[in-house]
Formats: sequence, structure tokens, C-alpha cells
Amino acid sequence: MEAADEWLLQSLRLYRDLHTFELQAPTRLIEWARGDRVCVAGYGQSDGNEILQLIPPPTLLTKETQGLCPERDFKVECGGFSERPVYSLKYVPDTSLLVTSGPPDSSLQVWQVSAEDSDVIKSVSTIATENGTGQSWAKIDTISARAPWVLHGSRLDRVQITEVESRKNVYTAGIQAPQGSEELSSLAFLDCNLLLLCSATGRLCLADTRQPQGLTEAVPAPSVPSSEHWCMGTRHAAQGSQPSSQPVARLSSRGLLALTDLRKTSEFLAVAKARVPSPGSGAEFLCVSWAPALEGYLAVSGFDGTVHVYDTQSWDSSGREAEPIFVHKGHTFGGAGGSRDPPLVTVHTWHLQKPRTLLSAASDGSLHVWDWVQPCGKCG
Amino acid sequence: MLDCGMHMGYNDDRRFPDFSYITQNGRLTDFLDCVIISHFHLDHCGALPYFSEMVGYDGPIYMTHPTKAICPILLEDYRKITVDKKGETNFFTSQMIKDCMKKVVAVHLHQTVQVDEELEIKAYYAGHVLGAAMFQIKVGCESVVYTGDYNMTPDRHLGAAWLDKCRPDLLITESTYATTIRDSKRCRERDFLKKVHETVERGGKVLIPVFALGRAQELCILLETFWERMNLKAPIYFSTGLTEKANHYYKLFITWTNQKIRKTFVQRNMFEFKHIKAFDRAFADNPGPMVVFATPGMLHAGQSLQIFRKWAGNEKNMVIMPGYCVQGTVGHKILSGQRKLEMEGRQILEVKMQVEYMSFSAHADAKGIMQLIRQAEPRNVLLVHGEAKKMEFLKQKIEQEFHVSCFMPANGETTTILTNPCIPVDISLGLLKRETAIGAAPDAKRPRLMHGTLLMKDNSFRLVSPEQALKELGLAEHQLRFTCRVHIQDPRKEHETVLRVYNHLKGVLKDYSVQHLPDGSITVESILIQATAHSEDQGTKVLLVSWTYQDEELGSYLTSLLKKGLPQSTP
Repeated sequence: MEAADEWLLQSLRLYRDLHTFELQAPTRLIEWARGDRVCVAGYGQSDGNEILQLIPPPTLLTKETQGLCPERDFKVECGGFSERPVYSLKYVPDTSLLVTSGPPDSSLQVWQVSAEDSDVIKSVSTIATENGTGQSWAKIDTISARAPWVLHGSRLDRVQITEVESRKNVYTAGIQAPQGSEELSSLAFLDCNLLLLCSATGRLCLADTRQPQGLTEAVPAPSVPSSEHWCMGTRHAAQGSQPSSQPVARLSSRGLLALTDLRKTSEFLAVAKARVPSPGSGAEFLCVSWAPALEGYLAVSGFDGTVHVYDTQSWDSSGREAEPIFVHKGHTFGGAGGSRDPPLVTVHTWHLQKPRTLLSAASDGSLHVWDWVQPCGKCG
Repeated sequence: MLDCGMHMGYNDDRRFPDFSYITQNGRLTDFLDCVIISHFHLDHCGALPYFSEMVGYDGPIYMTHPTKAICPILLEDYRKITVDKKGETNFFTSQMIKDCMKKVVAVHLHQTVQVDEELEIKAYYAGHVLGAAMFQIKVGCESVVYTGDYNMTPDRHLGAAWLDKCRPDLLITESTYATTIRDSKRCRERDFLKKVHETVERGGKVLIPVFALGRAQELCILLETFWERMNLKAPIYFSTGLTEKANHYYKLFITWTNQKIRKTFVQRNMFEFKHIKAFDRAFADNPGPMVVFATPGMLHAGQSLQIFRKWAGNEKNMVIMPGYCVQGTVGHKILSGQRKLEMEGRQILEVKMQVEYMSFSAHADAKGIMQLIRQAEPRNVLLVHGEAKKMEFLKQKIEQEFHVSCFMPANGETTTILTNPCIPVDISLGLLKRETAIGAAPDAKRPRLMHGTLLMKDNSFRLVSPEQALKELGLAEHQLRFTCRVHIQDPRKEHETVLRVYNHLKGVLKDYSVQHLPDGSITVESILIQATAHSEDQGTKVLLVSWTYQDEELGSYLTSLLKKGLPQSTP
């Protein structure tokens, strides 16, 4: 308790705002919906996992912190029950649907959120996929361009775009063996035509849905021991700018961060090493994300109970260890008894408008919302 | 009737409950056996004097001792604000409050109170506020538990609610906060400290209007620790009226607070702080930063209002409202955003100071409700206070996790719940001994069918043997005996036929007791078989199979068996 009290006192200086919540079950995803709703879901049990769509407290909804904001709580706006653990969840823009995926296979579940007449998120349909041997759960991303689409796949040899409502396959692509058998760790729509995929070995592949040729390797896996696991973080382009102008960040389970400009894939934009404990705690919850409102800032988590924020603008390609601008330690001071394993941060995400606000969740069910104070001596 | 609260959103008659829901004809005193009040918040007891003195009820009103002590104070405060300040007429008087409290019977925690010879009630600790209780209501072996407002996490001055595994048929619980995920207490406290610190750092003054018995003690302990740790110098004051009242109540109700407070209180006076001193009204004019805790909590009169008037004009100052404010009070007005207030004598007060609201009130959230249901193991759950549309998810959650039915009735709706009442029946020792002696030894895992007679006499149920029942009722016992003749082709002598029958039956009926008696008859269990020669035909023997009514099944079976004839090879 002493250390926790000490941290709380320090927090007065370190954070402008700090909220800590306890979910009934831990989540490994935090998704924004409609710009102002937050969704979390359980992944622990084999069934009876809850999907919760939450209304954040008013302090989070306004850009500037108002003087009088009595409410500090999240409200459960609606919820659903999933028979399988939910590892990934994406809302389908311009619809009242969302898509989830999780073990034991790579099929997707489609849900309907209709907050009007009921607060239950109902299961609507399943998008089945051919189950190759050893297929793990599918990574997903959604877009509503020509129609509500979901991009999904679990290995490089087969990614698909499926129309969510009709469940019709619209596009398929893949890389042949031997790289094809690599597991996918992240994928994303860069825009309605361009797809970006990242394999667990750190290989980046691009695809254009207008061309039937399939995936092309854009950036090879970094030449490091193959036991490392990689994931990526992409940044959404501002209106009007090219999606490929945004740097792509790749994070390895050893703490290496490689930034790449997709227009100049032959070299790294920057490489640095995050200060992470070793040996690492595995690659299950690796997460890297760009700040939507702070140029060049990104956050990293999944190594322990902390979230690191880095300013990449001063980075070069040397791969030196970088100093984080800020480290959120709140999850390490879990409220529950100290004898259990220290909690591991499972996921983090940035607030879409408030520049220095993040949300992070950990394996003990904690959910934190924090607005850190820029340390003196640094502008921006 | 559970609770009797005021609706705080209305100014007219809609603020009182509509008691015609209870009964349209007849007096409430005849219809209701008792009224139970869970705690002193006005939305649970605010309409009590109206109900008992203006509508009319003379039966008992149950509540805990602290609630009984504190209720009249809050009711009188509330009456003063509504009548004296706002000039309302259809409201209860001071005398009515006193008359109402005369009907109150105070109860202790875990004390079983007999309301009448059938109805009993028991109070359980609910946390939330001083004296708050959950009530178990029992008639025979059917029971209902009503939670009132409760809190499942202990805080600095109150413990957490607790229920034993009482397995009520119905648990009625509040669901207002069921859909909230609450920010941790520590972050709320952090926010409070931050606001106070920032104000004091810029030289401002912080006013915290409090009730004597609310969070004041907690906040004091918090500030004291913070001041010590950060080595702060700004003075903190506590108005003396507060100290006396609070000390008085905490002394009276020390068992209602949590362990920590009890220890502190025993070791020293609750309000002996290093950094917190008694307030003198002259201090309000001192320059420089300070923090003051003053009553009353809604800024509607007295010291807190005086201080507020002095400090309101300076934007460096801050007022932190720690709880709900009733309509009509200055507290309510400034929380609603009003910045120009009309005071006595038509004076306008411009409020430039910062107005903050800190909610420390403890309610159960979704996690807490699930915990309580897990503790109590009710057979049905009823949610009150929420909006039907917004509770479907919680209802499903409860039904899925606990496999119980969950109801969410609207105002005015009647919900019917089917119960499985257990009727305890005493079994006579003789019957029990006799039944267990028959057949295999009793097995805890396999139910056994027993035969007995159920006697209902003098409001008790007993299971006794038929003989005893007949004896008690003064009836004679009759035995029914059946005899059946089976013809068997056998030219040998009778005793040889008997031997053949005996060996045959012994071979077939291995699980039964088959005996050959010296008098030439065979018994299978209690069934008697005798052989005689046929009067006209020497080659035929007649077997007489005889059994009592109780052995009908075995008797019929034996008869069919024997009718099939004896196997040739039997010697």
C-alpha cells in the first residue's frame, strides 16, 4: 500500500487527469466507436465472455476539462455475450454492426448494436473461413467505402475481404509458401484500395484491391533472430493526404522499434530500442500505436505493467536505446493482493482528440485513463 | 412497505409516493403489517412524516438506531428549507416529524424482530452511510431480502455490506448504478487533493460544506495525511459545531463504523489532528490561503453560508460540494450553474469562485451487485430503479450466471413470483428405524421411498407408522390377506412337491429370503406357500399362495412364476 500511496501522490504532478477502473474481466482490446464510445471485451474464459460498449465519463468527452464534471464513471451502454474469447473487435463504420474474432479458429462473428430498443448486443451471423491446419484466430480491420467490408486473415497465404452484411467474398490475396505460412500479426486498410499486412516475422506486405496480382512484399523482415515476434502500428492520414505518407511502426518482442516510410521502403526511417525488461514476457500483448494528435509520438506496451510514450522526431537509424518521454506505471500498483503475478498491460489506445490522453488495460482487469503532463524542457 | 422516500426532482405532489398503489379502500394501518426504512437519505425516508401523519398510518416503523437518531434531523432541515425558505404549504410540520418518530421501533444488526407471530425481520450491515441496513423479511420458510442502498467495497469510515447465505426466495436490489463502472476511490481522492492543492497554491481559500456525519471525517484524514507528506503550511479549519455533533454520533454508533475508525477513535479524539484546528468565524476574514470544513452541507443556512458569502466574489477561491443538494438551497443553485444569487434583502451575490462537485457516495456497481447475489444465493432477483430498456443486459447477465429469474417491474406493475416453500415434517423415530431396517443400508446419494402416514395436527406435521397413526386416531387396524390357488401337476407326495417348489424358488429368487419351515410351508419374505393334495385328482397338487396387501407385487409375481410350472429337472 505504501508504494501505491506514494505513486498516487506523485501522480498529482505527473498527470493532469487520472482515472482507474476495475472491469469485471480483463480485456485485450479497447476500440473507439462513433468517436465517443469505448468498447472492451473479455478473453479469458472459454464462454460467457462479455462485450461491453461504454460511455466514457464526461471529462473524457469534452476536449477541454471543464470545471464542473461530477461524473467520473464509465456507463455500460450495452453489452453482449460471446461464446468464445474475444481477441479482436472492430466496428463497421456507418452501420450498427461490429465484427469480432478469437480462438479456436479464424472465423468471424458479426454483431448488431441497437441501443434504441434494447441494451443487448445481439449475435447476427458468422463469417466462416476455410480452416487450414493450425490456423489461429483472425486479425481484422473494417472499412465502409463501396460497402461495409471486413479485412481478415490469420496467415500471409490467405487474406480476404468479405462484405459484412452479405458475407460474400470480395477479394482474396496471399503469398505463396514458404513465407505464406507465416502468421499475421496485424493488418490494416490504408484506404479503400490499399491494404497493409504485417507478419509475425516483421515482414510488411502491401496489396491493392484493384489489382488481382495479390500481395507484394514491401519491406522484408528485419534481419534479426527469427524468434522475435513483431507487430505494427499505422497512423490514419489526415484528410486529403496520401495514406502511404504516414510512417509505419513495427515493434518487436525484444523492444526494437522500426519506422518505415512506405514510399521509401528500401531504408528505415528510424530505428530505436525501447527500454524493456528482459527476458521479455512473450509477444501476446505487444502493442504500438501512433498519437492521432501529436506529431511523431507513439506509445508502446505489452512488456510489463507499463506503457511508454516516445517522441520519435529525434530518432535516427542507429538503433540506440531511446528515452521515453513518459512512462505510465499505474497498472503495477494493482489494488488486489500483491502475491499474484504482476499485471501485464494487454492493450492501449490514444484518445482521438485530447492530445495527451491514453487508455490502457491490463491482465488484472484494470482500465486506466490518463492525461500525462509534458515534462519541462520539452515543447509540444 | 419498504422505504418511504421523497422524489427530489419534483416540487409539487409528485414528490410524494402515490400510496393508493398500496390499497384503494381501507386504511393503510390495517393493510400494512409494518414499514421498514433502510437509511436516512431523503429519497428513502423523506416522505415518512407525510405518510404517517398526513395520509395516516399508526403501525410500527422499523429502522436501525443510527437511522432513528439522524432521520429527524434531516427531515427537520428539509422541512425548514421547503416551508420557511420556499413558502410551501402542503408539507409536514415539526410536530408531525416528532409524532412520526414516536412510531419508530429501533433494531440492532442481526437481531431477529418478531413483527407478529408470523412475520419476522432482520437487519444486515449495508455500508453506504452510517446506519444503513439491508432487511430480511421472513414468513415461515419464505423470505425476501431488500437491499436499500449498499456498497460492496469498504471505505475509510464504513465497512462493506454483508449478507450470509440466507438463500431468500427473492432479493430486491437497486440497479441505478448497476450499469456504471466506477472510478476508483483513490482517483476521486486524488482529484480532490489536486483541486485543494491548486487553490491553496495560488493563495485561494477552499470552502467544503459538509454534514456532520458524512464524508467529513474521511476528507479530514485525507487532507491531514497530504499536508504532512507535502509539508504544507496553509491552515485547515473545522467548525466546532461539526466536531461536537460528529463526536457525539460516532460515540453512540461506534460499532457501525469500520475497524480503522474504531481504532482511531479509541486511541484519541476523532478530531485531534496536527494540521486541522477549530474554526472561529473571525478567521474567514484572514488573508491568505486556507481550507475550511463547515456545516450545513447544502449551504442553506448557518456558518457555511456565511463563509460562502464572504468568499464568493474572489475567483481564486473554490467551494467543493461533497454531496447532493436539495432544490431551493444555495448549494443546488450554484451546482446548476447559477452565478448570480438573490440573498436576503434583495441583495445580489455574484459568484466568481470556482464551484466543484465531488461525489464520494458509495453505491454498488454491476460488480457489487453480482457479488451480493453470489453471497446471498437468492432464488429470484428483482431490480428496481432502472429503465427497463437499459437493464436487459444486466438481467441476462444475472440469469446466465446464477440461473435465477430476474424481474424488472415498472412503477405500478405487480410481479408474481412462484416459490417452492419447504414444509418441514418430523418423522417418528420408530418409523425411521423400521424403514431403514428393510432392504439395503441407507445411501446418502440415492433417495429411498418410505411409507408412512402424514398426520396434520395442531399446526404441526408428523410422519408416523400406520399403526401409530391408527392408534392415535383411535381406529382399529385391519389386515387384508389374499390367497391364490396354483395347480401343479405332480404325482408325488405333498412334502416332496413342497421340496421341489422350495428348491425352484430358492434358485430363482436369489435376492429374497426363501425358507422351508418345519411345518411344511414355504415363506418367501412374508408370503406363505402351502401345498395340499387336490381333493379329486391325486396327480395334481394345489399350492396356496397367501400374502398381505403390502406384498401385492411380490405375491402376484410369485403366483405367475408358479403358474409356469416347475422345471422338470428339479429334484
